[in-house]
Amino acid sequence: MQTSNFAKAGLLAISISAAAMISWEIHLRNTGAPISYDDNEALYADKRAMVYEPIDQATVFIGSSRIKFDLDIPTWQSITGDHAIQLSNVGSSPRPVLEDLANDENFKGRLIIDVTEAVFFSAGGLYDWKTRNKIAYYKIRTPTQRFSFQVDHVLESEFVFLDQEYYSINSMLDNLSFVSRPGVYSGNPFPVEFHPVSFERQSFMAPRFMIDTSLQNQVRAVWTRPGRVIIPPASGRALDSILNSVKFLVDKIKARGGQVLFVRTPSSGPVLQNEMKRYPRTEYWDRLLTVTGCKGIHFADYPAIANFECPEWSHLSPAQAKIFTNNMIKILQEEKGWTFNKKPD
Amino acid sequence: MLFNSYTFLVFLAIVLILHNLPFSWKTKKINLLLASYIFYAAWNPPFILLLWLSTLVDYFVGKALYTQENKHRKKLLLVVSLIGNLGMLCFFKYGGFLLENFTHLVNALGVNYHPAKPNIILPAGISFYTFTTLCYTIDMYKKESKPVQSLLNFSLFVTFFPHLVAGPIVRPPQLVPQFATPRKANTQQMLQGLFLLTLGLFMKVFLADGMLSNSAIAVFSSHDTLKTIDAWMGVLAFSGQIFFDFAGYSSCAIGAALCLGFILPQNFLFPYAAVGFTDFWRRWHITLSSWLRDYLYIPLGGNRKGQVRTYINLMITMLLGGLWHGANWTFVVWGALHGFYLWVEKAFRDIRRKKLTPALAIAENNYIKSSILPSFKKPVEGSFPPESNHPKNVSNFVLALCTFFLVNVTWVFFRAPDFSSAWRLLNSMFVRNTTGTAVLSYLDITRVSIIMLVLVIAHWLMRNTRVLTVANKMSWWLLGIVWSLMLILIMLSQNATSSFIYFQF
Repeated sequence: MQTSNFAKAGLLAISISAAAMISWEIHLRNTGAPISYDDNEALYADKRAMVYEPIDQATVFIGSSRIKFDLDIPTWQSITGDHAIQLSNVGSSPRPVLEDLANDENFKGRLIIDVTEAVFFSAGGLYDWKTRNKIAYYKIRTPTQRFSFQVDHVLESEFVFLDQEYYSINSMLDNLSFVSRPGVYSGNPFPVEFHPVSFERQSFMAPRFMIDTSLQNQVRAVWTRPGRVIIPPASGRALDSILNSVKFLVDKIKARGGQVLFVRTPSSGPVLQNEMKRYPRTEYWDRLLTVTGCKGIHFADYPAIANFECPEWSHLSPAQAKIFTNNMIKILQEEKGWTFNKKPD
Repeated sequence: MLFNSYTFLVFLAIVLILHNLPFSWKTKKINLLLASYIFYAAWNPPFILLLWLSTLVDYFVGKALYTQENKHRKKLLLVVSLIGNLGMLCFFKYGGFLLENFTHLVNALGVNYHPAKPNIILPAGISFYTFTTLCYTIDMYKKESKPVQSLLNFSLFVTFFPHLVAGPIVRPPQLVPQFATPRKANTQQMLQGLFLLTLGLFMKVFLADGMLSNSAIAVFSSHDTLKTIDAWMGVLAFSGQIFFDFAGYSSCAIGAALCLGFILPQNFLFPYAAVGFTDFWRRWHITLSSWLRDYLYIPLGGNRKGQVRTYINLMITMLLGGLWHGANWTFVVWGALHGFYLWVEKAFRDIRRKKLTPALAIAENNYIKSSILPSFKKPVEGSFPPESNHPKNVSNFVLALCTFFLVNVTWVFFRAPDFSSAWRLLNSMFVRNTTGTAVLSYLDITRVSIIMLVLVIAHWLMRNTRVLTVANKMSWWLLGIVWSLMLILIMLSQNATSSFIYFQF
């Protein structure tokens, strides 16, 4: 082949691939898909590196998916003037992150721990291994990974199709309506509109999710589907062991001047009923506060946040998250003695 | 730095711009050397000290070896170099393994010895650059090539970023002469380099990471006895994954070098179309197998010391080749299996040779001598191993499928974390088990089946040619379409950060 032919092939390749990707991007935008960042190790590590900010300037949030939806970071930051650092992980217990922070002598900050009983009071969440991978990644991330993350951030801020969880070729294939094999889990059961992720690691329901009840029902069906993996609640010695380990880790942070507070974020409908049945408050939440000696906010104790109807029974909508965050700040200031640099309006 | 990272794309763009600016050749080489150090340090900065140490020791020892006439001093210098290179490799790569085995041994003898587990981080690419520098000092000892006169050229030879971390393992005659005169890629080389870079990323990002790795992980990380179909699909998925991962890396390396006007040796030649294991090792990780042949098998005596010694030398070479891949007995067994396959193949050839007429036997013997392990004793710039003498017919295709089948069995030991996992998987593969666990979805099974079928057929069809030869023969619009499909699938894969498998070796 002549050089000119190879050059023509190269130009054709660039033209076709650029046209294809631009068309794909336009199509996705027309479907209303928002910009969403990959909630991967690199994004976690970027936030994890921020926990050393002074105690009066930042609050770290750890937990599972609920606090990722329920804490509206812009609301928190605008009211308190305080930096919200989101280190929670979907489907995962916060205990691995708590352990990491407690063992980090340089962390002396403010910590809010979201308690979703099913993952907090169990041997572990379904995706604890992913959280441990993120923790490990932060410790060994290389200069090249940091640089790639910065480039990735710029690109992900511009292109919808760079949502690996839903628009990578592998995810799209996995989500095809392929005959499922008995006993084998495959594909992502959640619709793409359910949980886009912001650069601050806040999850939020897309506008279409809020108006499309079939999408909401799809997620509700995941929470209640028969055969769903249910992690058995810890009890007896196993529960004592969990509580003692949490107390040990919390005490480490407190001993360095840090502050720790637990929060039980809202749920509703059958999900809440199931949680109340499996994890009676006195045996789990109340004991947690007693053993650790920490303050806590249980949504059911505060009328302003006690009666949310979660769109899919487990997480708050963006509008509800604003109300919840607003009220949580009020409770923190008025009842729990927390102070922030910026006074509420 | 990973080829499949945004950092590398920015890095390569800067290097290409600098390399094409009107600087002196020396300045361009200094640029390339500094870029190579940045490329290496971007992964783990402190380990660059080891690279510098290895470069300096071998540069000066190599020179002294070449000029030293006193045999004892010469041997002493060689020992210094070997201790320096192999000592570092042993400490970082095999330190934990040796200590663990020593502990088992003394415990078995009744000594209560339980040392703390050493926490040694393996410097990226140490196995590769150690072999690169080792071959230089051995060549100097044997006066097989002249010493590199300039420290800059030698440093660049050791450190040149395309081959530094995971090969191809280059020999001084392959690369050093290319530093002698100014080099810049012409348009054709630049385009071909970019094409190879795209192909390499396509193999790594789309095929290895995107399509196959999850199935391999699901099967190899399972603690259950699996259904036979799952076990086979998992092994096939790994078989494809490791090829696409490593051949993808090699393509990127060769492509990146070509964009700068340098030619690196081929490392893969459609290995899953190999007819027999001699042929396989002429097609798989060619630069390692030829290194092992020239610096281990032949110094051990090769096939010059009779039949029995040939078999022994072959096995030693394959065992150490296995151990080179990782500090685990499973790698040794992987090497042993390949050694055994080569034994059987050689035995068949010996029997066949005895039945041939004398004239044919001499011709066959000459071929065997050159092909027990891959042969390009005196590699030259851009050289390829000799063409296979296996014609493309049905019987050879069947033999190639048999070879592929047996290669897959060896991958079980290569990938399994321990022997119990390997045996469990082999049991699932070969003992029909209807009650085993299913871990792969129908989609996974379909995906692996299609990719591996296409892979084997493509290897067979292209076994006597080269990728660039095929690309050159294609019409420009067809090549453009193929190229664009690869680009689109890379962008849609979005697996931009996973490491290459061979980095751990």
